[in-house]
Amino acid sequence: MNWWQFGRRDADLERELQSDLDLEEEVQRQNGLAGEEARYAARRALGNMALIREQTHEAWGWATLERLAQDLRYAVRQLRRSPGFSVVTAATLALGIGATTAIFTLVYDVMLRPLPFAQADRLVTMEEIAVEWSNIYPTLPVSANHFTFWLQHNRSFDSMAVMRQGSAPLGTDGRPLQVGVLTTTPGIFSVLRVQPQLGRIFALEEAQPGNEHVAILMYDLWREQFAGDPGIIGKTMRLNGFPYTVIGVMPPSFHMPSVLGPMGNANRPLPIEVLEPLAFSKERLAEQMGDLNYFGLARLRPGVSVAVATADLDALQHTISANLPANEKATLSVMLTPFQEQLVGNNRKPLMIVLAAVAGLLLVGCVNIANLLLARAVGQKQQMAVAAALGARRAQLVRMALRETVLLAVAGGGLGVLLAFVTVPAMQRYLPAALDFRGPLHLDWAGAGCALLLAVVATLLAGAAPAFMVSRTAPNEVLQAGSRLASESRGSRQVRRVLVGLEVAVSVALVLMTGLLTASLVKLMHVDRGFTTEKTMTAVIDLPTMSYPDDQPRAAFYREVLERMDRLPGVEHAAITSVLPLTGDSWGDMARVAGDNRPVTQLPLESFRWVGPEYFSTINLQLIAGQFFTQSDWGKDVAVVSEKTAKSLWPGKNPVGLQFTRGDRSKELPFTVIGMVADARTISLAKPDPMLIYVPYWYRCEQTAGLVLRTRQDPSEMAEAIRQTIWSVDRGVPVPTVRALSGMVADSVANQRFEMDLLLLFAVSALFLAGLGVYGVVTYSVVQRSREIGLRMALGAQRTSVYRLVFRDGLFPVAVGAAAGVGLAFGSARVVSSLLFQVSPYDPALAAGAVGALFAVGAAACLLPARRAAAVEPMQALRAE
Amino acid sequence: MEKQVPQRVGLLQGTLDMLILRTLLYGPTHGHQIGKHIQRTTNEFLQMQHGSLYPALHRLEKRGWVSAKWETAPDRNREFKYYRLTDKGRKQLVVEESQWKQMAEAVARVMWPAAEEN
Repeated sequence: MNWWQFGRRDADLERELQSDLDLEEEVQRQNGLAGEEARYAARRALGNMALIREQTHEAWGWATLERLAQDLRYAVRQLRRSPGFSVVTAATLALGIGATTAIFTLVYDVMLRPLPFAQADRLVTMEEIAVEWSNIYPTLPVSANHFTFWLQHNRSFDSMAVMRQGSAPLGTDGRPLQVGVLTTTPGIFSVLRVQPQLGRIFALEEAQPGNEHVAILMYDLWREQFAGDPGIIGKTMRLNGFPYTVIGVMPPSFHMPSVLGPMGNANRPLPIEVLEPLAFSKERLAEQMGDLNYFGLARLRPGVSVAVATADLDALQHTISANLPANEKATLSVMLTPFQEQLVGNNRKPLMIVLAAVAGLLLVGCVNIANLLLARAVGQKQQMAVAAALGARRAQLVRMALRETVLLAVAGGGLGVLLAFVTVPAMQRYLPAALDFRGPLHLDWAGAGCALLLAVVATLLAGAAPAFMVSRTAPNEVLQAGSRLASESRGSRQVRRVLVGLEVAVSVALVLMTGLLTASLVKLMHVDRGFTTEKTMTAVIDLPTMSYPDDQPRAAFYREVLERMDRLPGVEHAAITSVLPLTGDSWGDMARVAGDNRPVTQLPLESFRWVGPEYFSTINLQLIAGQFFTQSDWGKDVAVVSEKTAKSLWPGKNPVGLQFTRGDRSKELPFTVIGMVADARTISLAKPDPMLIYVPYWYRCEQTAGLVLRTRQDPSEMAEAIRQTIWSVDRGVPVPTVRALSGMVADSVANQRFEMDLLLLFAVSALFLAGLGVYGVVTYSVVQRSREIGLRMALGAQRTSVYRLVFRDGLFPVAVGAAAGVGLAFGSARVVSSLLFQVSPYDPALAAGAVGALFAVGAAACLLPARRAAAVEPMQALRAE
Repeated sequence: MEKQVPQRVGLLQGTLDMLILRTLLYGPTHGHQIGKHIQRTTNEFLQMQHGSLYPALHRLEKRGWVSAKWETAPDRNREFKYYRLTDKGRKQLVVEESQWKQMAEAVARVMWPAAEEN
C-alpha cells in the first residue's frame, strides 16, 4: 500500500457507498416514502458512514497509519497550545543533539574511521627504543642500518618501508612552488597495497644512489600543475632544482597521511604531493648507531599479532646490540603501534573529554525536559484520569503521554542534524594534522545515525518518568480529589528534585572541568617563556638542493639575506635559526667534554640549534655570561650554551672559555663556549627546554631555515618586503610563509583553546539549563503550596520566613547535586590531570567557584518564585478553595 | 483510538464472509444487490445494516477471494462496483461451508441429542 493511493481509494469507497445510498433511496421511494424521508431511510439502512469507513480502512491495513496521523495531529495541537514550552524544549534538544553529533563526527573521524588502505588494521608503525636514551627520547625513529637487517631477517611482516617527509621547490622559472615530498623505500606500495593509476612503482635499482631522480605524482598535483596530462609518464620535471623523470601518477583515492608525528604543531606540514625513492648511501648504511631518522611502516602477515611481531624484531635488535662496537654500546628494542593509533597520538584524550562534556550537556538538557514534562503531566492528570475511567488501557495512556515527547524529539533531532550539518565542516581545522588528509570533513551516515540514536535516547530519557507516572493513574483517586486540590504526588515531587540534583551535579562537573582547563590555558599563556614575540616576524626559507648542495653556498645565501634584511627600514634585528620557536626540535647530539671517555651512547644528549648571530637579541633570550656570536667569529667553531647545559656539563663552573666536542666526532676540533643564555620554553610552552647548545650557522646550516626579524614598526606590513628581499638574492627560492611570532605562540595552544571554548560554551549552557530546572521546580511547588503558605502567613509567619521556606526548598537539591558533581569531577581527576598545566585537578578555589556559580544560579532561579510566594494574600489563598 | 469490538461479531463476521461468497456464486453483483439478496433470502431475519457489508467486501478483496471492477449496469446508464468470485474465493467458500456444516452438526448433537438417536 502506497500513501499516494490513499486519496484515490478513499474516493472509490465514497463513490461505492454513495451508489448504495442512491439505490436504497430508490427502493424506499418505491415503498412510498417521499423526498427527504426516503433519503433518511436510506442512510438508516446503510448505517454509520464514519464507522464503515474506519472499518474498511482497517481491512485495508491503514488503521495503524491513521492512528499515527491522529497522534501527530493531537501532539501538534497540544504543543501549539504552549508555544513557549515547545520552543524551549525543541531548541534544547536541537542544540544538545546537534552539538553532540558534530563532536561525535569529529571523534569518529579521528578515532574510528578506518584508514583508507586495504586491511588497514594490519598496518603498524615501527620505532626503536634505546634504553640509554629512553629517559629523554622514549622512542626513536628507525635507522637505515637496522631497517635493512630487519628487512632481511624478519618472519612476521608481509612488507616494510621507511620514509622521510619533507618539502622541496617544484619547477624552476622563478618563485617555484613548494610541495610536500615523501622520500620512501620502494616497499611502501606493498605496505599500503596501492598502485599508481598511470605508470609504475619504483624499481629496486631506483633506490640506489645516483638513480633516485624519479618521481610519482599524487593525483591532485598532476591535475593542478600538469593539467592532468595523460602523456606525463617519461616526461621531466624540476624538483629541488634537479631534473626528475615522472614514472607514475597515483589514483585520486590515494591520500598519504603526514608521518611527521606530533612535532611542529604550530606549523602544519605541507600535504604530500610527490613520492621519490629513498636511496641509502654506503656511509648511511654503515652507521650502526647514527642516522636514527626514518619513519617505519609495515604490514603484518595475516594472523600475526603485534606482540608476536614485536618479539620477532626484538630478537633481531638483540643481535644488532650484541654486535655494536664498544664505543657505541646500546640496548635496543622496538615499539610497534597500529598505524591509526599512532596518527591519533595524544589527541585521543582531549577529544574524549569534549565528547563526554557535550554528552553531559545533552543529559542535562534531557533531564530538564523530563522535568518540564513531569510538571505538564501533573497538569494533565485530570485528562488522563478521565481517559482511564473511560476504558483507555495502560499502553494507550503511555502512548498519549509519549506522543508529545516523540514529536519534540523528532523536531529537535531534525534541527540538530541541520545544526551539525552546518557546523561540522568548520571543525576541519581542529583535526590533528596527521589525520587531516582524507578530504573535507562532513556529516555522514555515521553522524546522522548518531543523531537518530540520540533523539531516541532523549525521548526515552525525557519521556520515561512522565509516562511512568501517567501509566499509574488511578482514576478514582484523581477524579474524587476535586479539581482545585489536585496536587502533585509526593513521589513525583521527589522525582523532580532528584532530576534537578542530577542536572546540578553534571553542571558542576562541567563548570569545574572548564574552570580547570581555562586556568591551565591562562597559566600556559602567561608562563615565563624566556623569549619575546612583540613586533617579531618569522619566515620559512627552503633552498633548492641543486643550487645549494652543501653548507658553503647555503651560508653565503643566508649571510647575504641577513645583510639585506638589516638594511631594510624599520628592521631592528634579523637572524636565522634551524628551528623557529614552538615548531619542534630537529637536531639531537651528544656533547663530550674534555676527559670524558664514555661510549657515545652514555654521553648526555642535547638539542642543537644552528643560528645567526642576532638570534638571541631578536627574541630577547637573556645572556647570563660571556657574549653572543658576532660576525667577527665567522668561520670559528664557537658555541653558546643554555644554563641547563652548563650546569650539567660543567657543574659549578663558568662555562665561558671551556671546550667540548660532538660525541661521535671526537676527531673534529672542539667548540669553545663563548656565552651562556637563560633557559626558555622554545619547544613547547608546557615544559622547559631540554639542554640546548647553539652553534653558528657557518658551522652548519641546512636547506630549510627559519628567519626571525624584529621590527620597529607594525610587523604586518613587512611580509612583502621580506619576500622581495629573499627574491632579490635568488628568484629560485619558493614563496616563503611569513607569520608573526605571536601568532605562532597562539597557534601552539590552538587545540587547548578550542577545547576550552567548547567546554565554556557547554558549561554556560548547562548552568542556564540547571537554573531553568531549579526555577521550574520551585515555581511549581510555590503554586502548589500557595494555600499552605497563605495559612502560614495567616498564622503569623513573616515574609522573610516565606523566603527562607522557598529558598530551602529550591537550594536543597542544588546542594546535594553540587556535592555529587564535585565528587564526579574529583573522581575523574586522573583522566584530566595530564591535560592540565600547573593546576591541580583538586584545586579547592576552582571547586568552590564551580559550586558557588551553581548556587548563584540556583538562588537567582529561586528569587522570582520566592517573591511570588511572599506576595500571597493569606485571605485570598484560603478562600480560593 | 481502538474500538471495543463485541465478541459475537467474530462469529458473525466469518458468517457474513461466507454468505457474501455464496451470494456471488450466482454471478457478478454490486454491494446493494448482495445486501438485498441476503435480507430477502433470510426473510429479513438477519437485521443487518448493509453498510457493514462494505468492510467485509474490501476485506475479501484484499485476501483475493473476490475481485472488483466498476461496470455499467445492464438495466441503467450508471456504473456500479461489481464484485465477482475468484478461483481462490470458490475454494474458500467450500472450506467455509464444510466448517460451518461441521460446527452446526456439532452444536445440533449437543442441543438435540434425541433427534440424533432417531
